[in-house]
Amino acid sequence: MSRYMVNKLMWEVDRSNDALALFKADPADFLDSWESLALSPNPPCPAGGSLTGDEREAIEAHDFGSLYAMGANPFLLWQFARSVSVPDETSIERLVDSFREAVEPHGYPDFFT
Amino acid sequence: MALADLVGILGVTHNPLMWSVLQHSVPDDLARVAANFEHLRSVVSDLAPDAIVLVASDHFHMLMMSNMPAFMIGKAPMMRATFPNEVRHFGLSPNQVIGDPALAAHLLGGRGLAPGMDFAFSDEPWLDHSFLVPLLLLTPELEVPVVPIITNCNAPPIPTAARFAELGLHLRAAIDSAASDRRVLLVGSGHLAHELGGPRQFLGTSPDPDFDRKAVSWMADGNLEEAVAATTFDRLTEAGNESYQFLNFITCLAAAGGRAATFAEGTPTRFGALPFFSWEVP
Repeated sequence: MSRYMVNKLMWEVDRSNDALALFKADPADFLDSWESLALSPNPPCPAGGSLTGDEREAIEAHDFGSLYAMGANPFLLWQFARSVSVPDETSIERLVDSFREAVEPHGYPDFFT
Repeated sequence: MALADLVGILGVTHNPLMWSVLQHSVPDDLARVAANFEHLRSVVSDLAPDAIVLVASDHFHMLMMSNMPAFMIGKAPMMRATFPNEVRHFGLSPNQVIGDPALAAHLLGGRGLAPGMDFAFSDEPWLDHSFLVPLLLLTPELEVPVVPIITNCNAPPIPTAARFAELGLHLRAAIDSAASDRRVLLVGSGHLAHELGGPRQFLGTSPDPDFDRKAVSWMADGNLEEAVAATTFDRLTEAGNESYQFLNFITCLAAAGGRAATFAEGTPTRFGALPFFSWEVP
């Protein structure tokens, strides 16, 4: 588990319109490039980062429930979920419902990094 | 030597979705919110501040966990405001906010960093919606210089409530001792019970009405001691995983000397209860 790296990835995707477009076009390719930028598998990493297999899988699959359960920062997770899904994959109203359904079973996981 | 004067203290919401809705129309559930902002705009106008010290929390726009200060003071003469993802999410427009480097330097401690506060500082602060939304609603022309006090309420561990109270005491003392004949308004921005990215987001109502009621009463009754004792990280999480930003109002209450607010309301809306507080400073 590398909560900081998950947060960093979501942050980098959401904050830049260019990064968001690249991620949406090909998440696997984006993650390959992002992970290759990292100088070491753990922080400090000036660029890019490194994810565990589970984290990478959850990010590629838009599995927001698993990311939430792993302790992703809830604010960053919601902004990321919204940016990568709306409006291309779903509407904001449907995302609100499916997101709630996905995170509800996990209660309030620790999201300290 | 003329000293600066703290002329008033306000606490307001910065909910960007609320701001976004109000740009188009004033639906019934936001009528009271619009009226409260109109009231506070007239308070600000009557107070005619020369500077605003604004205590709010960056939401991972300027700052990230790669470098996360507890309390940071921005001291640039001009500051950028809002970010591309906030333009995308909320429809905010890129803006510029005038700073007040001299007052900011004084709040930092002058020639030595203020004892006990250990502020971080930024010579190039970039303000997100938590600063821009209150400014657009209180001073729509953005004509009053601003000193941003950026508090960490989003990346735990966050400072304890007692530290937010100390921040308020420090700001009060520092403003009162600033060697300039300025009228200074202190504004805090945050939430009551609020959740984002958890099971209770967008419920159309408050995730914790009991917390809201207590939180408003701490301000209305001037009960700093109970506010500080009650707002532990765990109790705030229970109120909703974005409720930590209530702590910015504890800074306001402490700066007011723990006195009762003259106006205190948690206005019910589709976004939960939105906070409005105002203190007169004798």
